[in-house]
Formats: sequence, structure tokens, C-alpha cells
Amino acid sequence: MAAPPPDATSQLAQVASIVPCGSDGVLLRVIPRTPFGPLNAGRFFMLRRADGVGPLIPRPFSIFKQEGDSIEFLIKVIGPGTQALAGAAIDSDLTLIGPLGNGWPEIAPEPVNIMLAGGIGSAPFYELIQSKLAKGAAPESLLMIYGAATRGFLYDLEAFEQLGVRVLSTTDDGSHGFHGNVLQCLEAEWAAGRVSESAQLMACGPEPMLKAVGRLAEERKLKAWLSLESYMGCGVGICNGCVVATRPDGELGSWPNAKCCVEGPVFANEAVRL
Amino acid sequence: MVSLTTHVGSLELANPILSASGTFGHGLEMKHFVAPDCLGAWVSKTVTVVPREGNPAPRIRETEAGFLNSIGLENRGVAAYIAEVLPSLRSLKVPIITNIGGESLEAFVEAAELLSGFAEIAAFEVNLSCPNVDGGKLPFATDPHVAESIMASVRKVTDKPLFAKLSPNVSRISDMAKAVEAGGAHGITAVNTLLGMQVDWRSGRFGLATRMGGYSGTAIKPVALRCAYECVQAVEIPVIGCGGISTASDVLEFLAVGCSAIQVGTASFSDPGLLSHLAQDVANLLAENGVDQVQDIIGRVNQVPARA
Ligand SMILES: Cc1cc2nc3c(=O)[nH]c(=O)nc-3n(C[C@H](O)[C@H](O)[C@H](O)COP(=O)(O)OP(=O)(O)OC[C@H]3O[C@@H](n4cnc5c(N)ncnc54)[C@H](O)[C@@H]3O)c2cc1C
Ligand SMILES: Cc1cc2nc3c(=O)[nH]c(=O)nc-3n(C[C@H](O)[C@H](O)[C@H](O)COP(=O)(O)O)c2cc1C
Ligand code: FES
Repeated sequence: MAAPPPDATSQLAQVASIVPCGSDGVLLRVIPRTPFGPLNAGRFFMLRRADGVGPLIPRPFSIFKQEGDSIEFLIKVIGPGTQALAGAAIDSDLTLIGPLGNGWPEIAPEPVNIMLAGGIGSAPFYELIQSKLAKGAAPESLLMIYGAATRGFLYDLEAFEQLGVRVLSTTDDGSHGFHGNVLQCLEAEWAAGRVSESAQLMACGPEPMLKAVGRLAEERKLKAWLSLESYMGCGVGICNGCVVATRPDGELGSWPNAKCCVEGPVFANEAVRL
Repeated sequence: MVSLTTHVGSLELANPILSASGTFGHGLEMKHFVAPDCLGAWVSKTVTVVPREGNPAPRIRETEAGFLNSIGLENRGVAAYIAEVLPSLRSLKVPIITNIGGESLEAFVEAAELLSGFAEIAAFEVNLSCPNVDGGKLPFATDPHVAESIMASVRKVTDKPLFAKLSPNVSRISDMAKAVEAGGAHGITAVNTLLGMQVDWRSGRFGLATRMGGYSGTAIKPVALRCAYECVQAVEIPVIGCGGISTASDVLEFLAVGCSAIQVGTASFSDPGLLSHLAQDVANLLAENGVDQVQDIIGRVNQVPARA
């Protein structure tokens, strides 16, 4: 029976800062009333304005940074929910539900961990890289390939570049970095022998990208984990709205659906069908 | 101290606030957010004899003022409910109401038969009204004879209190209310979701994979209130109001039209902790208004002379 994570709470959090980021994003930093201890990278929170402005249903956002008592989200503004959050007043309250979901699995530093981020899909990687380094991973054991349609959607690229691991950036239109998508960039790295062809992949981004990563991992028999996005109602496992199709022989068991919010959002590639 | 005690048939409830089926898990999954005794009773998601995979995604969409779903009664079946959920409900003080569903009269009866022996279950809510099976045809919720015979047949296999959950998607809900009362229901839950739809004109796509789904949330409150009122007027058995309730004032409106208790669904998605304080909010609101028992509000609209 999928239940909400035991550490999840529903509480108010005060908006500490909202800073524009990229061409359509914001960095939203909040201070929860009851602070959290260190949270697993890749987990998420549901957010909604406490004054009721904006949609009825909170929206899910990955933890981007956790520093002291504050939690920062990297948000691409695309519709009513994200607009309402981006327009919140400093010091105003948000309803913060979480932490939710599983987050990235603990995996060995060998073979090399390659993180593939598409646009706003970079958000769950910052803390992942930080925590791996903090736990003693060698910077060479980590590679991030961060791609987007154009430079304006490479949100807070500088922050990633300052982490001290190799970060390759790519754009579909060639406005920055490698001209092409993240997988073309990865293939080019492999072809040039700059990174080991035996690798472990972690990916977050738009669905076509995740599908392509899944296929590539299968073809090359690489381990891969995908952070999936699904439309969420409750975020805590009770509405059955966020289902992802599972593979009958996968680690999630024979039931044809998994709940993205509690069994994910990170899934092993061979456990799900995109 | 304001008394919130209420009765729904033979059940005495510490307060009139229940969770709505399908919005609060099968058992006590939400106890991290809401302590069990915060609710008058916990209502399970619909369980069916045969496991149901549910509908394809997308299954949910938010719209301007409410929420559309086409979950399709996904559940792992009565046997899994007995094995995995019921043991976690033992020795609870708060009543558990198990919501049962089915694709046929026989399936409702079998579900009730299989579950009737379990002391953990205080009552059954019979889901006659899910719009997300059989393409929104609502076969059990629109024909009074069918609804009556389902209730009468389930009645024969269990002594537990039975509540019939009705659909608002009918032309005269009072006929349905009378039919389930005649079939032996001890109470009525009014209402399930309204049949709704969302489209994106740019892409020409439907919002939900099943095209149609159940509409819930704030937007449906006036419809639900009217339905609950019509049921109260039509029958002697108690009515549990449901639809769009999210505040203490909403709760008291449903009680004022004569409901004995209410259920909260979609509002728990806006805040999973809502039900941890809603009963207290009701008590505070009554206290502020000099009312010392919630019973005094029930049916108030019938005690006030009509406007001249
Ligand atoms: C686990 C998870 C983590 C996420 N992390 C981030 C993040 O770090 N930064 C970020 O910018 N975005 C993130 N998203 C996506 C973000 O939740 C959506 O962009 C947001 O919900 C859009 O809401 P809106 O009202 O602005 O747009 P809308 O106009 O409502 O929707 C625009 C699009 O967003 C999607 N969407 C809308 N409502 C929901 C919902 N309730 N649940 C999921 N998707 C929805 C829809 O598929 C739609 O295509 C994440 C999503 C998930 C599931
Ligand atoms: C996601 C979702 C799932 C639901 N599942 C069920 C269900 O399994 N059985 C049932 O009887 N009603 C189900 N309902 C209907 C609710 O119990 C309730 O009747 C309806 O949503 C109206 O109340 P609300 O506006 O407070 O949500 C569901 C509603 C939603 C939103
Ligand atoms: S969002 Fe409700 S079950 Fe996952």
C-alpha cells in the first residue's frame, strides 16, 4: 500500500527571495516554519500560495538547493500555478507539502555517473552532485550534460559549472555550447573517448528526451534512472492520478501502474514503460 | 465546549466530518497528516471483488474552479484489502466505512459478503455512482429500480449499516433517494462527482484519456448542496453531504439543510492536513456564534419560516 513518506508534512513556508533566472524562470527560496534535516536529492514538494491566489491544486517542484533552513526551487513559469508562485510577495506564506517521493538512488561512483538534464530538468541535479561530492565521490566520476532548446533555458548554468565537476552544455539552436541535444553530445563524448562507454545514466527532462535515454540505455545495456514528470493531484499517493505504466517483469511488481508521486519520481529504466 | 457528536443511523460519530471515498486512501495512509480521531469516520476508496487496473493516463486535470478525474476505480481487489489494509485498522476507536463497488449486482453482493464478517468495518458505503466505469453510463445510479435492487440484495448478506452513494447526474435525485431507502439503505451519501470534460482547442485533444470524467471541488458545492437537500426532503434516513466542502462554514451549510454528517474530498489535495483541524474549526465557529452543539444546526433551514 503506497503511503505518503513518513517525514512529509503540510506546513507554511515564508518566501525569502524570488530572483529571475533564465528567460522564463525564477529561483524561489522559502523558509519552512519547521525546518528539515538534509533531504535526499531528487525529492520534491507540492507548493501553493497560502493566500489562495492561483490554482486549487498545489504544483510539484524538485528540491533545487537546500541551504541551512531554506529550500530553493528552480521554477519555469508556464501557466497559472507557476505564475502565481513567481508573483508571490517576499515574506508571504506558501503551503509547502513534503518532502515527497523517493529521490535519486544511492549508486556506486563507478562506472562514471552521467547526469543528463533537459531544460528545467536540471533542478534535481544540483543537490545530487553536491551530495555525491560531499560523500567523497571524485569529481572525475561525475559528468553532467545540460541541454536545452536555447541558452535562455539553461537555467542557472553558472551554479552547476561552479560545482567542480565537468559540465557540458548543449543547445538545439547552437546559441551556447555543443550544437545539438544531450544525447548527441554524449555520443560525441563517447566517440572521442573522453568518457567511459560503460556508464550509469540519470536523466530528467522532457518526455521525448527521457524516452530516448531509456532506449539508448537499453541498446547499450547501461543502468539508467529516469526522474519522471506526471500530472499530480495529491502528491502523497492517495488520488491514483499520477500513474506511470510499469513493466510486468520489473522491480515494481506485476501491478500495471506505479504512482509517480510515492514510488517515484525516480524510476529504474527497466521498471517503467514510457 | 461545543459538542460535535452526531448520529448517522446507528453510528455515533465524534464529529460530523468524514473523508470522501477515493481521496484519502484505502486505510489510514493519511495518518501522518491527520490523526485518526480527527475524523468522525474514515471512508475507504472503493474496493471491488475483482482487482481493477483503472483507466489510462492522463487521469486527472485541474480546471478553472474544480478537478476532473477518471481514475476508474483502480484497486487491488477485496482479497488484497482484507490481507493488506484491514489488519492495520484493528483496535481503532474511529469507525471505518468501507466503500464497495462493482460492475454488476452480483459483484456488489459478493463484495459485501466477503467483507461482512470483519469487525474492523463499521459500515458499508455502496458506490452506485462512479462515472468512470462503463463510459460514464452510470448504470446503477440513474435507474431507481436497479439501485433499489442492489441495496436490497446487499442488505440480505450483511447486518452492517449500508449507505448508498448517489450521483448528481440524474434528473430527479429524490427518486433515487426514495428507491435506495425502499431497498433498505440506512443512509445516503450525496453526492459523487458530476460528469465533466476538458478539451484543448489548440491541439484538439481531450484533457482526460477517457474524455469524460468526474468533476469535483469547490465548483460543485451548490449542486451538491441542492442534491443533499432534496435527499433530506425525500427520505427519513440520514444523509451525508459531499461535494466541494473545504471550510467550516461549508460544513455547517450542509448540516443546515439537514445532513447528519459530511465528507471532504478534493479539498484534501489542496492541503492534506485540512482534516486535522476542520472539526476544530467547526467547533470554533459554532462557539463564536454562541451555539453549543452541532445538532442544533442540523436541519435549521426547515425551522426558519420561509421569506414572505
Ligand atoms: C516530481 C516533479 C518535479 C517537478 N519539478 C519541477 C521543477 O523543479 N521546476 C519546474 O519548473 N517544474 C517542475 N515540475 C513541473 C511543474 O510541476 C509544472 O510545470 C507545473 O505544475 C505547471 O503548473 P502551471 O499551473 O504553471 O501550468 P499549467 O498550465 O497548469 O500546466 C502546464 C503543464 O504543466 C503540467 N502540469 C500542470 N499541473 C500539473 C500538476 N499538478 N502536476 C504535474 N504537472 C502539471 C501539465 O502537464 C501542463 O502540460 C515538476 C513536476 C513533477 C511531477
Ligand atoms: C481522485 C478522486 C477519486 C475518487 N474516487 C472515488 C471512489 O473510488 N469511490 C467513490 O465513491 N467516490 C470517489 N470519488 C468521489 C468523491 O468521494 C466525492 O464524492 C467527490 O469528489 C465530491 O466531493 P469533493 O468535491 O469534496 O471532492 C473520487 C473523487 C476524486 C477527486
Ligand atoms: S499525485 Fe495523487 S497518487 Fe500521486
